[in-house]
Amino acid sequence: MGLDPADETEGAIARGDPRARLAALRMRLAPPAGERDLPPVLPLGVPELDGHLPGGGLVLGPPHEIAPAEPVDGVAALGFALALCARHLAGRPGPALIAAAPGQPLPYGHGLAGLGLDPARLLLLEAGSDAEVFRALEAALHARALTALVGLVRDGLPLKPGRRLQLAAEGSAPPLLLILRPAPAGLPNGAATRWRIAAAPAARDRFGTLDRPRWRARLERCRNGRGGDWLLEWDHAAHRLHLPEPLAGDAAAAGRSRA
Amino acid sequence: MTRLRRAGLAPERGPLAVAAEGPGGLRLVALDPEARALGLQPGEPLGRVRARIGVPLQVYPADPTADRDALLRLCRWAGGYAPLVAPFGPAEAGDGLYIDVAGASHLRGGEASLVDDLADRLARGHIPARIALADTPGAAFALASHGGVDRIVVPPGGAAEALRGLPVEALRLDPGTVSGLKRLGLRRMGELDALPRGPLARRFGEALLLRLDQALARRPEPLAPLSEAAEYAAARGFLDPIGRQSDIVRTARDLMAEIAPRLERDGLGACALRLALHRVDGVVRALDLGLSRPERHPERVAALVSLRLDRLGSALEAGFGFETVALAVTVTGAMPARQTDLGADASGDGVAVLADALAQRLGRGLLRLEPRASHLPERADRSGPWVAGEGHGSSADKDIGRTRAHRPLPSAEEDAPRRGTSRHEVPHGGGEGAGSGRGHHEARDPSGSGFSFSRPLLKQEPTSPAEGGVRARAFPISVPCSIPWPDHLPPRPLVLFPRGEAACDVLSAVPEGPPRRFRWRAQVHRVAHAEGPERISAEWWCAPGAERDYYRIECEAGHRLWLYRDGPHAPGQPAAWYVHGLFA
Repeated sequence: MGLDPADETEGAIARGDPRARLAALRMRLAPPAGERDLPPVLPLGVPELDGHLPGGGLVLGPPHEIAPAEPVDGVAALGFALALCARHLAGRPGPALIAAAPGQPLPYGHGLAGLGLDPARLLLLEAGSDAEVFRALEAALHARALTALVGLVRDGLPLKPGRRLQLAAEGSAPPLLLILRPAPAGLPNGAATRWRIAAAPAARDRFGTLDRPRWRARLERCRNGRGGDWLLEWDHAAHRLHLPEPLAGDAAAAGRSRA
Repeated sequence: MTRLRRAGLAPERGPLAVAAEGPGGLRLVALDPEARALGLQPGEPLGRVRARIGVPLQVYPADPTADRDALLRLCRWAGGYAPLVAPFGPAEAGDGLYIDVAGASHLRGGEASLVDDLADRLARGHIPARIALADTPGAAFALASHGGVDRIVVPPGGAAEALRGLPVEALRLDPGTVSGLKRLGLRRMGELDALPRGPLARRFGEALLLRLDQALARRPEPLAPLSEAAEYAAARGFLDPIGRQSDIVRTARDLMAEIAPRLERDGLGACALRLALHRVDGVVRALDLGLSRPERHPERVAALVSLRLDRLGSALEAGFGFETVALAVTVTGAMPARQTDLGADASGDGVAVLADALAQRLGRGLLRLEPRASHLPERADRSGPWVAGEGHGSSADKDIGRTRAHRPLPSAEEDAPRRGTSRHEVPHGGGEGAGSGRGHHEARDPSGSGFSFSRPLLKQEPTSPAEGGVRARAFPISVPCSIPWPDHLPPRPLVLFPRGEAACDVLSAVPEGPPRRFRWRAQVHRVAHAEGPERISAEWWCAPGAERDYYRIECEAGHRLWLYRDGPHAPGQPAAWYVHGLFA
């Protein structure tokens, strides 16, 4: 009997003063690690950026909205979204799905290597409308078979489909869900974060050639977090974003002067 | 003609004719009994006919395609009598059909009552028909087309007697042979059969003897049936028609549960299914369901049916309800027993389930990017259909080459005169005659499998491309050989345009060098940095095209573009520049 640790604690609680007893009881009631309620996140690997996001990264499950700053930055936004996908896929099994409304740009298979994304792990769905994109994403969320989902929509993410996606994402092991929309199609919705992406001059290697893509990312809206503005650089080999080193700017300037 | 009358396009009475373009203008091709009574003959020039008779004649243009469609609808309706139904081919003038009733006539109480039932139903549908039932398709055709009676049933072995007095035209010979035979005074089949075969073959060729032997059951005649009978199928009839989606789904689940043990016994799964809904008024709606991997679980099939019905919505047109629901497995694939264990990686299965659900719900399949062996960037990748088990090393590939397809019925809905249930024959002649082949010869086939010789014929054909979901990927020849993604290419853009978009007002510092400034999409881009050129040209075996010099360009705004100059630099000629892609 005396070997049971529970009995010993019971005894300790019974013996101590009320304050200590209360503290001990609280400790017993608390979840073991204290992290059980926190949703899983995708850390971006940049401490300055992760600090702005609740939980230290992009929450998996609810939709994240990514928009280009200007219409011409559409490809930069697609690159940012696929870079996040590549980062998420790097550590996990399972494919990613891109569901695109008509007229939205689909990635070129040979260009994905530049973002560190394996084309064989990418599934495409050419939907007939935004509604079909949302329906497909919802089905994919329910199926829980894919690791990352990207929806390319034409008219933005309205409130109702956003809410439906959020409900479908509830549960264990949700995938990363990104909604990419054109610049003017901003709608009020329940997205967890909203990013504005603009192209920025790329990083150069030591010979002055274009090396790593850079984007100016603005976190416009972040539930339970803070917004911010960063210049991000994507390292496709390590699958991580980082802030450009101070010297990198000099290299770019040097390259420009040479050109 | 019957088609016109049934569709309400032509009046019920009055001399009626169908004319088509022939030698020397319009000629009659089909006549109704009243027109025939006026002494008209098919083949007469229309102008002469109009001049000859004093009665107004209604003439309609011939539409062979619509006639063929109507015949196929009739064939599908006749599938209720026996599974093997074959429409007439060109040799039989394409105006009738064969039903192989071997082994099916007892369902209608014998051959005589089967013929009666068929004749009654056709008459109720206002389809004039002549029906003959004989040992062979050839004999049945001859009796129906030239027998002179509306229904005839020849007892087994009696074909030679029945055919003796028929004219030689009934043998489906070409007109030259027929006129040659007549010149020799051979007008009846009996006379022909009595002659020694050698001289006949020398004089008229092998085709004559072949047709004669086929009619007299000396040589087999394979029919090309409209659909091969599905090996795994189940059907359920209802006293009260059903119309609700949940009822249909539940029926589909029950039918699949009926089929599943048979599939399991043979180690097979269904790759494609056809759900046929027979509406009370004779229309058959066929829903084709394609699956990304062999499956025999009733719940999954029911879920797919439910998704498909969701998508169709009111387009299903349940009308007064469906009285028969039939589920047939049209394509099967090997599905060996697999050991499952807790926590196994089931992501491949999950993706397959999702792919099937999307295919039924949205009608769109998942795609994947595939590399292709081409230097030209726009040809170097393509999106192909996603196939379960490819790409992620799951073990389902091996099954794919071994799927077997049964030829599915074209899944058009059909408006049969009335829903029938089982038997066989041949309405023939623009609505006037009918012949029917019966398969006594199959019963005598030592192998005992009816029409077994006709199967190789079907197997050689590619699967008929089924609409709506049956995928053609079941054949090894259609599986693309996959090449790996190359890893030595210089950087490629994230988005590639299908064709280069012209950049104008190009200003270059060096004539053969990259541009310094250009206008594209109504915007001026100033080049901050350029890398290149990378020279790409089409393969030598393609049509010789200009070489392209590609440059990676970064604008001052930070956008990265892929530009190329079409053709080498030539002094004095303006260079043509195109934007072909955008980098992230």
